[in-house]
Amino acid sequence: MGDPSSVATFQFGGLTFNAANIFSGLIAFVLVFLFVFALSRHITMKPGKGQNVLEWLIDFTNGILKGSIPGNETGAFGLYGFTLFLFLFISNQLGLFLQIAVGGKDFVRSPTSDPIVTMSFSLATLMIAQFAGVMKFGWKKHFSGYLQPFVFWLPISIFEEFTNFLTLGLRIFGVIFSGEMLLKIIGNLAFSHGIATMIVAVPLEMVWQGFSAFLGAIQAYVFVTLSAVYISKKLEIGE
Amino acid sequence: MFSHLAVASSLAIGDMLFYAICFIILMWLIKLVAWKPINQMMQDRADKISSDIDSAEKSRDDAAKLAKQRQDALANSRQEASSIVDSAKKQGQQQRDGILAQAQSDAQSLKENAQKDIEQERLDALSSVRNDVADLSIEIASKIIQKELSADDQKALIDSYIEGLGK
Repeated sequence: MGDPSSVATFQFGGLTFNAANIFSGLIAFVLVFLFVFALSRHITMKPGKGQNVLEWLIDFTNGILKGSIPGNETGAFGLYGFTLFLFLFISNQLGLFLQIAVGGKDFVRSPTSDPIVTMSFSLATLMIAQFAGVMKFGWKKHFSGYLQPFVFWLPISIFEEFTNFLTLGLRIFGVIFSGEMLLKIIGNLAFSHGIATMIVAVPLEMVWQGFSAFLGAIQAYVFVTLSAVYISKKLEIGE
Repeated sequence: MFSHLAVASSLAIGDMLFYAICFIILMWLIKLVAWKPINQMMQDRADKISSDIDSAEKSRDDAAKLAKQRQDALANSRQEASSIVDSAKKQGQQQRDGILAQAQSDAQSLKENAQKDIEQERLDALSSVRNDVADLSIEIASKIIQKELSADDQKALIDSYIEGLGK
């Protein structure tokens, strides 16, 4: 995993696709949609069970956004935060119970254990942040924010954008990737020397799965929180 | 481990595009299926709760006003009842006094009439008796005179007359 030889790739329209990313990503997208779809069937004034769960989730992600984005500007980013949180959460958990490898090549795992995927999302967040800044202040004022403390700060500001992009994407990737890596190693250990190692490995695997599930939830939360922080920074310059 | 990041330059674009497009579609679907209706419903509920609170406050005020009105009406009616009883009593007293005075005066006048009548009757009776006596005495006198006035009697009459003169 992570090794290029263990990933099936295919070409389409002049672009190279990673089969593992495509399959696991599709599964995660479908799971998220089914989850939301199933819970939102009977929307009534007096909420039922499913609606309660969904409303709690919406309140939760809105709460994350409201924690950093000032005033009533959260409305525009609510849907993004909600979808991002659900997708990252389910992606993080996907690899914990479903990993399919055919002929030594991965096909299904956590989509977020690939840096390309996580960096796509961090790029999307930073683009939204830039876009929101331009929409609110106009081009001139938005980019004058890069000269904020004083003019010579410009390289540091640009570098900060770049590091934000990298750390946001790589943080979640690192945690999920290492979690799955250790799961695989423990799995290999279980089957290495028959029954004796299996007895040792099963509780270890269970403990690590539980910890990974916890970390996956935390990382989804952290990603959305930091997204909100980066967006809010672009909405607050020069105020 | 990270070696495929070097290959990623050729991998990246396809996957990134795929994820971007899928994510946008997912966002759109979630917006359609859940986000919009649920937010609408939450907004509706918030509105309903606030309007319910308002109407509850209003109905509480109304109830308090009504209770006060009833209390006032009760106090008022008690006062009215007592004043009615008072006036009835007073009127009854007045009426009784009036009837009593009327009866007294009636009795007085009746008594006076009766006395007047009795007096009249007595006077009439007296006058008629007097006439009768006069007639009778004249008749008796004429009868006596007519019968015989003898010499002796004449003499005695004259004597008695003269005696009377001498005294």
